Amino acid sequence: MTATDRAAADPPVLAADGLRREYDDLLALAPLDLAVGPGELVALVGSNGAGKTTLLTVAAGLVEPSHGTIHICGALAGSLEARARTSYIPDTPVFYQDLSLNEHLEYIARLHAAEDWRDRAPHLLEPLGLQQWGDKLPNQFSRGMRQKASIALGFIRPFSLLLADEPFDGLDPPSRTVLVEMLRAAAAEGAAVIVSTHRTEVADFSSRCIALHDGQLVYDGPPDRSIIAGHLPPQDGLLVADVPESG
Amino acid sequence: MIADASGWGANQASSLQALRDLRSARRRHYAAQVDWIEAGYRLYLGVIFGGWALALISGALADVRVDGHALEQIHQRGAAALGLLVAVAVAAGLRSGGRGGPLVLEAPDVQHVLLAPVDRGAALRGLAVRRLRTAGFLGLVLGLIAGIFAFRRLPGRPAEWLLCGGVFGGAVAVSALASALIASGRRLHRVVIWVLAALIVGWSVADFVGQRVTSPASMLGALALWPLHRANESFVLPAAGLLVVTVAAVLGLTGLAGTSLEAARRRAGLAAQLRFAVTTQDLRAIILLRRQLASEIPRRRPWLALAPPDGARRRRWRRLAPSDGPRNAIWQRDWQSFLRWPLVRVLRVGALGALAGLSLLAVWRGTTPLVLVAAFALMVAAFDAVEPIGQEVDHPTLLALLPVGAGQVIRQHLRAPTTVMAGVGLIATATAIVAGAPAGLIGVILVMTVPTALLSLSCAALSVTNDPFAYVLAPELGYFQTGFPVALVVIGVGGPVLLARQAARHGASAVGAAVACELAVFAISLAVMAYLAYRIAARVPVRS
Repeated sequence: MTATDRAAADPPVLAADGLRREYDDLLALAPLDLAVGPGELVALVGSNGAGKTTLLTVAAGLVEPSHGTIHICGALAGSLEARARTSYIPDTPVFYQDLSLNEHLEYIARLHAAEDWRDRAPHLLEPLGLQQWGDKLPNQFSRGMRQKASIALGFIRPFSLLLADEPFDGLDPPSRTVLVEMLRAAAAEGAAVIVSTHRTEVADFSSRCIALHDGQLVYDGPPDRSIIAGHLPPQDGLLVADVPESG
Repeated sequence: MIADASGWGANQASSLQALRDLRSARRRHYAAQVDWIEAGYRLYLGVIFGGWALALISGALADVRVDGHALEQIHQRGAAALGLLVAVAVAAGLRSGGRGGPLVLEAPDVQHVLLAPVDRGAALRGLAVRRLRTAGFLGLVLGLIAGIFAFRRLPGRPAEWLLCGGVFGGAVAVSALASALIASGRRLHRVVIWVLAALIVGWSVADFVGQRVTSPASMLGALALWPLHRANESFVLPAAGLLVVTVAAVLGLTGLAGTSLEAARRRAGLAAQLRFAVTTQDLRAIILLRRQLASEIPRRRPWLALAPPDGARRRRWRRLAPSDGPRNAIWQRDWQSFLRWPLVRVLRVGALGALAGLSLLAVWRGTTPLVLVAAFALMVAAFDAVEPIGQEVDHPTLLALLPVGAGQVIRQHLRAPTTVMAGVGLIATATAIVAGAPAGLIGVILVMTVPTALLSLSCAALSVTNDPFAYVLAPELGYFQTGFPVALVVIGVGGPVLLARQAARHGASAVGAAVACELAVFAISLAVMAYLAYRIAARVPVRS
């Protein structure tokens, strides 16, 4: 049973109905109907200003839709139940400057009632190469390390929906491979994973691709380079031009 | 690990405990970083200088008792007038709440705490209580200072004036903050906020006109003046006013869960930048960030279009604005900027002019320290008026590419703002006239208008164009750089009015004394302007 088959069989983790978002007179997200099921790994592609971050932040409950609704596992996005199920990794890592990475992991896990964080933290930090940095403050981290730490914070707590906004930015190639494995494992466990990205390799391992342009959904289907490119304007087509043929 | 949200009700307690532990860990880290000897020394200095300032203020107050007519006025309208002040503060609070204020969270709190399955009301309550406490304390201190002013001029026991002044000050601050919390937490629509604000202010205006005490705001005003007529009145009205404030605070604190995360995130980012700007004393950045925090953005459509019309009307326009040279271009550009001022800025600048007028009147009548309030009001208004120069300095390359010397551009930029500040001076004059200023003072304020406009503008321009990193290694020089323009305005406003007052008290011409002083103020303004133009010209990338 493929991820897409499983998604079709189970109730959706994320369900958007007529979702629309405007900033003053700027349309950031056109009316959008979308369903993402458990086990799906979705690559969300589009150029700058396409509406990717808006979609993710609305799903995370950080931004409210102008019209329409978005539900996470049946609960309205931003509600307590939805927050318990949604993990959001922002495009810019956010840390308390006076707490170490380990303290971040502890409190974020405990805020989500994940009491087994002590056992799970080493398994997260070690592959990301952060095991020596647990006691350090975030201001001692490089850009890439901040990104990796942010990813660790997103994974330390339980979730049914993982929203990752440009998570590959700033990562070195080995870390990118680790992240790919982490995303795959999360989807394999039954979580819905949505990764917004400019990076073409995401399309390689995703089970579905959603393309946005100027806030409009222009493609929703298998992550096939040629098909996606056909649905995007030429300048966005460059985004997927070098996707290697899936093997 | 897949989340199971079915049992989240049971997990709330452990999440809240985690939140408490998080806060406590952060407090421990903070306490570990504090240099307690240094903090004690600062407190010691604060107490010494605070006490000294209080003694100075107290001593500077001439014991001019208000006359019978003024006392009668205070009896009749004092409570409603103070109530109007409360109503305006509450309206401002509602407006702030409608834009996401008053809480300023840290970005990690928004990301990690408010996105966690924790009751947001509980998560925000501590911060809100701290804000209420701080605002209440500051209001209390200001109220105490006002109490000192009051008991030296009005009948009544000093202790009662101090107590009522302090409680009134605290209550005003808490009511403004509580109304902001209500508007923000309960997500009041912008229209609802405007209607509520209009009703609250309107009720107080009606009280003032009708010489009554019916609104809760006027009841608080009655609290402030209770020492004056406690023999005739019960404490019921003031107590009712305090009860309304308490209810508002409770309503504000119980509705916190509805706070918009979008606004919280935006404010968190801006507040972080603002803190850095304050640390570096970067006044220009502070002004711009404060405007963003208050969502004070230029109007999309100007109050009045300045673009030249077409056809026959264009020919008339050309007659009115015959030259296309840089002088006219800059003059027009500056007015285009002013004509896009949002309503709140227009009202603020007008209110600052009125405040300056009332303060000068109080100075004239003997309350000397209010000269500081008049000077600060004019300086703050000048910070708004000087915006076109700020824009030039923000874009040094564009300035350098102009076929005109940078110094000349800056000098030209002072013309339109001076006109605006002269308008502020006229508002001050009109307010003083309405408040019953004597002819001598009106003449003095009119004489002061243009030189003070020039001085406050050039000093404001000096402040916003200071290089915040020029004295990073010598912070004392940085403080001097920041304080010098303010000191100049205080001297430029206070000197003439105090000397004119002195002349009037000795039977000499107040206006004559003011004219002599204003010549010096004018000369200082020209010197500051010349330095400003030189400094900006020296800073642009291509020397003109």
